[in-house]
Amino acid sequence: MILLCAVIIGLAAGLLRAQIGKRSYRPLVVNQWWLVFLAVIPQLFAFSIPATQSHFNSFWARIILISSQLILLLFIWFNRHELPILIVGAGLMLNLLVIAVNGGWMPMSPETLLKLRPNLAGESIFSGVRVGFGKDFLMNPSATHLWLLSDIFVLPAWFPYRVAFSLGDALVALGMIGVLYTQGSEKKVKEGKNDIQPNIKLE
Amino acid sequence: MKSLFNQVSSYVTRLDGTKIKFILMIVTLALFVIGAGAPDSGGGFIGR
Repeated sequence: MILLCAVIIGLAAGLLRAQIGKRSYRPLVVNQWWLVFLAVIPQLFAFSIPATQSHFNSFWARIILISSQLILLLFIWFNRHELPILIVGAGLMLNLLVIAVNGGWMPMSPETLLKLRPNLAGESIFSGVRVGFGKDFLMNPSATHLWLLSDIFVLPAWFPYRVAFSLGDALVALGMIGVLYTQGSEKKVKEGKNDIQPNIKLE
Repeated sequence: MKSLFNQVSSYVTRLDGTKIKFILMIVTLALFVIGAGAPDSGGGFIGR
């Protein structure tokens, strides 16, 4: 849920940009928006909603994660006309790649988990265990394929929320901020399905 | 409860195309980041 901060920051930045430029904010024309609902609602049931997440075993949770991210890639394809969306798509692709080559889970090392939860320092933390009902799976770096793309980054200690994230997550967040910030700019005068046409008549 | 329902339905009927597009964009993108990302706070891990 930390990635929702990217939506809030991008929206605030875009609205501010529009306000400074004395123009109205242009909502992005989202093509095939229903694909996102189709992809993410099963994920919410499998990973986020406490009442339902325990009903999904490991097999179905992995199937849902990979298939939903494939659908999200399809959504990116239908909305690929702006650079920030391509950055979001690159992040999603990196996450999907590392998840796919590691058995359907996002790998996290025991060392990273200890950074998030120092109170576990005295306990035995074994790899090969799912982290709660989330998308992460504890794996030693030596046993992780594409380790650099896994959840290896941790927010700084002064940040009030402790979370591990991947390079893909960072790109998704940066791209999303860019998508929403761009909508506060002037109207584009380009031919294209997604572009807003100017209110002028060319003789 | 009825008053709340009336307020919501009144608000919805007053929505124009731009506002609907705006709400749809925010909801879609918020759902997208939830689905595309895989950050983890480690909070669900139960030590042994």
